[in-house]
Amino acid sequence: MKAFADDIDLIKRIEDGSRPAFEELVRKYQDKIYNLCCYTLHDPDTAQDAAQEVFLKAYGRLKDFRGECAFYSWLYRIAVNTCLDEKRKSHEVTDPMETTPAVEDIPSSGPSAERLYQSKETGRAIQAALQKLPEALRAAIVLKEMEGLSYEEIGDTLAISVGTVKSRISRAREELRRLLGGRI
Amino acid sequence: MKCSQIRKMISPYVDNELAPDELKLFTSHIQGCPACKEELEKIRSIHQLFACAERFEAPLGFATRVMAHVEETEEAGLFSRIRRLFAIRPLFLRTLEVAFALVIMLIGVMSGNMLVADRTPGTQPTIQESFSLDLFQATPPDSIGGAYMKLVGTADER
Repeated sequence: MKAFADDIDLIKRIEDGSRPAFEELVRKYQDKIYNLCCYTLHDPDTAQDAAQEVFLKAYGRLKDFRGECAFYSWLYRIAVNTCLDEKRKSHEVTDPMETTPAVEDIPSSGPSAERLYQSKETGRAIQAALQKLPEALRAAIVLKEMEGLSYEEIGDTLAISVGTVKSRISRAREELRRLLGGRI
Repeated sequence: MKCSQIRKMISPYVDNELAPDELKLFTSHIQGCPACKEELEKIRSIHQLFACAERFEAPLGFATRVMAHVEETEEAGLFSRIRRLFAIRPLFLRTLEVAFALVIMLIGVMSGNMLVADRTPGTQPTIQESFSLDLFQATPPDSIGGAYMKLVGTADER
């Protein structure tokens, strides 16, 4: 709640023309947005460009933010849409309802289970698996697992009902279980 | 409760999103159903996998670069606003320019006429006469040259 109040205070200062306030907001959310873009786009350079785009869009559209939801929900919505646009641009977008093939670029034999749980490798495996998920499922699971949003917050961010969030996250986990089968 | 219904509750259970009555039903079913329990463990392992995954941090200087872009965008926005301001009103501005030029010309003609009218009729040549070479005066009487000629006693003769 305090973070939410802090954001509102920063936004008021930005609207009064304070650029340092916007820089503070960027520094506050840069890691979360960049992480979200990395897991959605799977390429550090593209993720960085997309993350920058997110903040530029947020700056330009700040007058449209009416405080009806938390600022980070609003920012994540911009991030999800920007990543989707980026994927469309690179022609990598998948149909939200299409079925997905199994991940082929994650070798089934390789590091032991202990090593797999090492952060970097796990991150890479998840990134690769996420790329195989339909867009709608990927956005929901990333917001849940990476950003720790509640179902309600994810619903606000993606403009969908809590029931749809529940179903998408369940399906995403089912898909990931299939894709990462040998790793679990 | 059927296993198919319980399976739908596994993810919300892992995310602590079950309502208290659902939670009660779920836990009592799981305790007596090894198949659903196994399913729960598999989904939980996916959840734990994410918990272990690397969190990427924004590259060094990211915020500074964003702010530089903001500055560039604002400057570009200002220029385009100025350009738009001129682009929206060219007809208006052109009409003003034409009107202003006409007013200046009118003032010029009127002042010229007033100057001509100030001269005593008959003694001064008309505008048409002044174009004639016959009326040429190298040192008109009201010029410095004419005044000098008057002083030295030499009148300019036509």
